[in-house]
Amino acid sequence: MTETIGKTKLTFTVNGRETEVLVDPSWTLLRVLRESLGLTGTKRGCEEGDCGLCTVIMEDRAVDSCLVMALQAQGKTVETIEGMGHEHALHPLQKAFIEEGAVQCGFCTPGMIMSSEALLRQNTHPTVEEIKVGLSGNLCRCTGYTKIFKAVAKGSESGGRL
Amino acid sequence: MKKRGIGIGSMFYGIGYGFSRQDIGAATVEICEDGSVIVRSGEVDYGQGSDTIFCQIIAEELGVDYAEIKLITADTLTTPNAGPTSASRVTYVTGKAMMKAATEVRETMREVAEEKLGMQDLMFANGQVFSMSHPEKNISFARLAKATHLAGRSVVATAWQDITTKDVDPETGQGDAYSTYAWASQIAVVEVDTETGKIEVLRVVAAHDVGKAINPKNVEAQIEGGVATGLGYALEEQILINKGIVQNTTLSEYMVPTSMDVPVIESHIVEVPALEGPYGAKGVGEPALIPTAPAILNAIANAVGVRVTALPANLENLHRLIREQENNNKDKS
Repeated sequence: MTETIGKTKLTFTVNGRETEVLVDPSWTLLRVLRESLGLTGTKRGCEEGDCGLCTVIMEDRAVDSCLVMALQAQGKTVETIEGMGHEHALHPLQKAFIEEGAVQCGFCTPGMIMSSEALLRQNTHPTVEEIKVGLSGNLCRCTGYTKIFKAVAKGSESGGRL
Repeated sequence: MKKRGIGIGSMFYGIGYGFSRQDIGAATVEICEDGSVIVRSGEVDYGQGSDTIFCQIIAEELGVDYAEIKLITADTLTTPNAGPTSASRVTYVTGKAMMKAATEVRETMREVAEEKLGMQDLMFANGQVFSMSHPEKNISFARLAKATHLAGRSVVATAWQDITTKDVDPETGQGDAYSTYAWASQIAVVEVDTETGKIEVLRVVAAHDVGKAINPKNVEAQIEGGVATGLGYALEEQILINKGIVQNTTLSEYMVPTSMDVPVIESHIVEVPALEGPYGAKGVGEPALIPTAPAILNAIANAVGVRVTALPANLENLHRLIREQENNNKDKS
């Protein structure tokens, strides 16, 4: 019983699956995803909303999961990189990132893909300028972004998964 | 008023450690009975793509499919020490060690194949070993691997590549400083707002001599990343220290380039082979960022006539320099 003291039940949809988990109300969505649910594809970076590593899609919008309190996700739909595709069935964006060489160290990649997917859901054929704005909350220190822009454009040609 | 300017930055860069500092790459190549290949090296790929390059080199040398190669890196229990991932040395040094080790096992396998096929002019390609004059005389790489095992021949080779230089004369500075050099020029086009000091880099054209681009897309990616880092160095990034304590420890205070900051980057690959590199390749990791800041600062000088001598050339610094120049001009007139 002790572990439930002070905890609150969070019911939400994660990658299409109804999920119930007891959470400490002081925890962020990022912490619950990584530590309670083991979804470590979502990376932890600056934890203050600057780097975009922890980007997930909540209700079709890209959010920094480090800035969302876990209980704000109550009843909501959350999507993480684990829900996008897997080794044998890649999401078109994942495929495009690989084909264009848009991944180097890979630490920004899950966040980049989630931001790109959120962008493409609102704008199926973005211009390069629109892609730049869409990814402006995601820092990358390796690629110089150029190949990422190309990958998103390529992913948009296939229309994303939707 | 917005003014545009163009600037050039050029550089040469010594690949590896140079100046008699030890610089040795290493790799072990092992052929398994089923023809799959295990490669071990202490070299670390931290995103620049050396694992890809290594597998390309092994595949090329053995004539096997890239996907047949299992690469194990940076495991002190099983991999030979290949030195650090630094000094833009990895492809140049350990890439060559990969080539040497693969060549050694291939030549052993060639002897077995020559005996089996009765031919001398054998070629390793597409997972097959065949006579160039009589292609019908052939054996699959996998079967040859099995045969080499059964013949009790060595199917493992470790090779080292040592590019340690002799050093220069301490009096004159003349001599053998580095094993090879990379060369590059970049041209930047900038737009400066003379009222605010805001600088926008519109375009960077980067020409890099990489010896041989083993993976051109990878080289481009290195150049693009280098240009973005060089742009941050020129315009944004500054560590503020007060009494030994860094004051700007977060990404909201220490600014790095975002997707909104990077210009159009046009890469041009120049290939002047380096004698000691694999297929003539040398490094591009650090060279990619070195000419960017000088090119941008020269472009600023070309646009507004102000010479920035202390980095970063951020909004406030450039605004101050432009105002100083205006005041100087007023004093003179």
